[in-house]
Amino acid sequence: MDEKKRGNFGFLKWLGNDLKDIGQTFARGDWKTRLSFLIMGFGQLCRGQIVRGLSLLALQGGLLYFIFGFGWQYLTKILTLGTVETHREGRVTVYGHNSFFILLYGILVIVAVLALIYLWRLNLRQNRDAEHLLSIGKRLPSNKEDLGSLLDKNFDKTLLALPVLGIFIFTVLPIIFMICIAFTNYDVTHQPPSKLFTWVGLQNFKELFGIGGTGNFGGTFFYVLGWTLLWAFFATFLTYFLGMAVAILINKKGIKLKKLWRTILVLTIAVPQFVSLLYVGKMFAVDGLVNAFLMRWGWISTPINFWANATSARVLIILINLWIGIPYTMLIVTGLLMNIPAELYESARIDGANAFQSFRKITLPYMLFVTGPFLLTQFIGNLNNFNVIFLLNQGNPKSLELTNNAGATDLLVTWLYKMTINDSNYKIAAVIGIMVFIVTAVISLIVYNVLPSVKDEEGFQ
Amino acid sequence: MKRRKRIVNTICYIVLILISVIWLFPFFGLVLQSFRGESGGMVSYLVPQEWSMKNYQFLFGSNSKFLKWYSNTLIIALFVSVLQTIVIISVSYALSRMRFNGRKALMNIWLVLGMFPGFLTMICLYFLLKALHLTEAGAIPGLILISVASSGMGYYVCKGYFDTIPRALDEAAIIDGATRAQILWKMIIPMSKPIIIYTALVAFMAPWCDYIFASYVAFGYENSYNVAVAMTRWVWTNDYQGFFTRFCAGGILVAIPVTVLFMSLQKYYVEGVTGGAVKG
Amino acid sequence: MKKYLALLLALCMVFALAACGQAAAPAQEAAPAQEAAPAEEPAATGALKIWVAEAVVDFTKEQVASFMADHPEYAGYTVSVEPVGEGDAASNMLMDVEAGADIFGFPQDQLARLVAADALIPLSDENAAIVADENDAGSVAAATMAGTVYAYPLTSDNGYFLYYDKSVISDPSTLEGIIADCEAAGKSFYYDLRSGWYMPAFFFGAGCTLTYDTDDSGAFTKCNIDYASDAGLGALKALIALHKSPAFVNGSSVSNATNAAAIIDGTWDADAAKELFGENYACAKLPTVEINGTATQLGGFGGFKLLGVKPQTDETKLALCDDLALFLSSGDVQLARYNVVFWGPSNIAAKADPAVQADEALAALGAQLAFTVPQGQYPGEYWSLSEALGDDIIAGKYDTADDAALMEALQNFQDTCISYAG
Repeated sequence: MDEKKRGNFGFLKWLGNDLKDIGQTFARGDWKTRLSFLIMGFGQLCRGQIVRGLSLLALQGGLLYFIFGFGWQYLTKILTLGTVETHREGRVTVYGHNSFFILLYGILVIVAVLALIYLWRLNLRQNRDAEHLLSIGKRLPSNKEDLGSLLDKNFDKTLLALPVLGIFIFTVLPIIFMICIAFTNYDVTHQPPSKLFTWVGLQNFKELFGIGGTGNFGGTFFYVLGWTLLWAFFATFLTYFLGMAVAILINKKGIKLKKLWRTILVLTIAVPQFVSLLYVGKMFAVDGLVNAFLMRWGWISTPINFWANATSARVLIILINLWIGIPYTMLIVTGLLMNIPAELYESARIDGANAFQSFRKITLPYMLFVTGPFLLTQFIGNLNNFNVIFLLNQGNPKSLELTNNAGATDLLVTWLYKMTINDSNYKIAAVIGIMVFIVTAVISLIVYNVLPSVKDEEGFQ
Repeated sequence: MKRRKRIVNTICYIVLILISVIWLFPFFGLVLQSFRGESGGMVSYLVPQEWSMKNYQFLFGSNSKFLKWYSNTLIIALFVSVLQTIVIISVSYALSRMRFNGRKALMNIWLVLGMFPGFLTMICLYFLLKALHLTEAGAIPGLILISVASSGMGYYVCKGYFDTIPRALDEAAIIDGATRAQILWKMIIPMSKPIIIYTALVAFMAPWCDYIFASYVAFGYENSYNVAVAMTRWVWTNDYQGFFTRFCAGGILVAIPVTVLFMSLQKYYVEGVTGGAVKG
Repeated sequence: MKKYLALLLALCMVFALAACGQAAAPAQEAAPAQEAAPAEEPAATGALKIWVAEAVVDFTKEQVASFMADHPEYAGYTVSVEPVGEGDAASNMLMDVEAGADIFGFPQDQLARLVAADALIPLSDENAAIVADENDAGSVAAATMAGTVYAYPLTSDNGYFLYYDKSVISDPSTLEGIIADCEAAGKSFYYDLRSGWYMPAFFFGAGCTLTYDTDDSGAFTKCNIDYASDAGLGALKALIALHKSPAFVNGSSVSNATNAAAIIDGTWDADAAKELFGENYACAKLPTVEINGTATQLGGFGGFKLLGVKPQTDETKLALCDDLALFLSSGDVQLARYNVVFWGPSNIAAKADPAVQADEALAALGAQLAFTVPQGQYPGEYWSLSEALGDDIIAGKYDTADDAALMEALQNFQDTCISYAG
């Protein structure tokens, strides 16, 4: 993975060196090493490193079996994603190729091939090193040492093996798959198992930016993107500052029952959102509890349709999000406030600063410095805040000015969710997914380069 | 001066009481609705005209699978909580205390992966789980697998905490002949009680709210539903007229254990969330 | 350098996947082989899954049990019935046909999507003939696409009409009267104008049409629409006037309506409406509304629930599915179903039953039927487009618009509808 950084030229150079090394290993190696080129782990087994040898051999066998026994049929079709259509014999259905599995397992097989090459290289290097050690009269690590090191020197490998594997299969593989989908025509009229889908190049991206597409798709995309950013901004910073205000209020000297106030606020974190948000959303319906109370108290004469209008729906969502978000910030800020040395405030007061000045000069800068990364993760979390939007009003209200089922409060994520569920429009959803990634990545990159507190990882130790 | 202080404090109390009312109101409403005896639909008043336990009786009655859904969710939550904590501790320890080739690269790749919207991969995950026979009747282990498998990427908070434990302690232990595994087990874990409880608590709470992916995976097989999947149907589809008060009652029952647990472990949650926020 | 030990575990996982994929792959390959084997083999075994709405799960289980008792030739099959609502059933089938139910209930508007995704097998000629003979013409048309019958009609009650409170509404025959009574009593009139299903009541009533032609693969070939016309303009103005009334609330679900004196809704809400209005419960056909100066009867859709069978790779199972679906949609079962959950039958004989004839809600629906068009097939985008138009009306975007602006909106709507075809 380090290789990538060195750029193309560096990679070629590295590849050349590596090939040379492989050649030299073969030329200079003994027969055990040479046989290891075909049978992985052979040299290790002969030299008594049974654990290494057996695991390499097992991996080779397993991978080869996987690639040729299972994966080959998918790999060979990956360029077309299948050609045999589903048809009926009489009234009985005979399924043809399944483009979905061809793509999914095709990717998996390619990864397996790469893994095999990597292991093979590792196997050669071990043989070479073992020969070298023996030739200078040293002893090879015993099986027991090999196993023992997994709890000590190589403990990181033991710890990371399963997590890395899990992330690979259930995160990386699906993401690669999804990126591939953006270059296919997988949608409602090309759905496996009955229909095939195939590669279409950049067609979907062209449609997104309004080149040869239908309707106002590009405009809708930027509209939704705009609101997504606006929402993330307000949802993050309003909650942050108001949360801080509430924390400072509760922490104020002379306020009693601090724990009670905090506990009341924290309820919103504890109660599952699908319960609380669904209820709160219904409270604000045009014939809901809030309107009923406002009318009973005589504050309004006709009910307000909060969810009907784009602006009021957006404002309401941001406000309800405060209800969810303030307690969270409050907790964090409460913890941090204790870390600020009391002497700082003391000396500020002696210098004649009032409460607001000491907040502006001491509390705020400290908070911003320390909570920088938190704000960033909150911002990214809000860009993808599915629950609040979806449980409250499903992204409505819609408008004739928007296309593809988008509504005024839809975030990119809720929009692409609707596309997959309601319209089975996987190809466009994949394109939008990539766009979400780009937006998130750009913002994170900018913030990361600006934030002082992220740069210095080792500084904390 | 004293008078001014008293006025300020009074204002503060008024604000706090106002905040408390706003924050408690929905829960208050939820509880009242759950005891409503008249029609099960939406109403525009708060206090029931007729108090009744019938919504709760329905949930526990033989016509409802609520207990099954409840225990499904509980099982998922417990397993996810334990396994996810183990995974996160392992990853955090490796990334915080050990230096190995590709460590930075691994962290960067995981950071980048986190920026892809997870919803898109749901259909792919569904078919992966289906290939492993972990959908429909096998949805419970399937959901546990998915939650645990990718949890390694959520190491930030825990690693941040481990980073604050002085490395000199490790070095001293290594000189004394301890292996890395022993250091983790005998030294780091006992010192990290708050963060472990925090991790476990967060992991425990998440499955109670998982309805989109869970409904994909259960794929119409009712015995595999969790409470969120089962109960959102009551308010979102036309098939369940008059289930709103039952939804409220179910919501209360779901909220109770999570809330009690959360409240009793709140101290650790604050420590975890603060530590995590600072360390990123 | 023992990185490979980390990979060992990785590979175990890959193998697990491979093994399962292996198990799945031969099964697919084997399908034609099975088919080649003699289908008359007596001991055919397997599992069959049915998805129906929660309310009829127990009923369906009983009916299936009695069917299986009468058909020992299918004794090797086990049938399970799961509660999956009609809307969910369609979206689940679209996502994964193979794991979906063998027999499933769905609303007719999903037919085109299901056919496009090949989630429905056309009926055999015999069954198609029986279905056409025994059910009302509208329901058969709803199950038919491009001349092929794809599903079994289950109910003929998926339309809407007016529920109202006798003590508030003195005359349910005009919308203006209903609104005036509601405003006077401080109550609300509920109608779902942000819906492609309810909104055509105004447009169709005014004389507009909106239908789609499909080819036999479920693709839309042509859109017949004339919303951008004087009649359409009148309907839109009537909708805007309705939205301006303080008594109007958007909605079509009795149990979400907190202050209803009248609601336009379907038979599935009859129980909830009875509970809400108590002894003042009453139903009627839709009212008339003033459009372009004349009192115009509101129209709308007559809709149907259907039962579908998904494509099968095994001949015996297909035969079982055919027979079972035919049985579950037969007149006797429809009548029995009516007696349990009051779903209005589509079967002509069942419709003539005195109990069905006496049903107030079904009578109102029947009275409305004369003014409705049978609901054909519409592309999925149509429904969200209609929601968009409805949202624009409710948000007040047209409150002060002049005729030209309204006509422009209708033209836009019409053009977009046309763009979905072909």
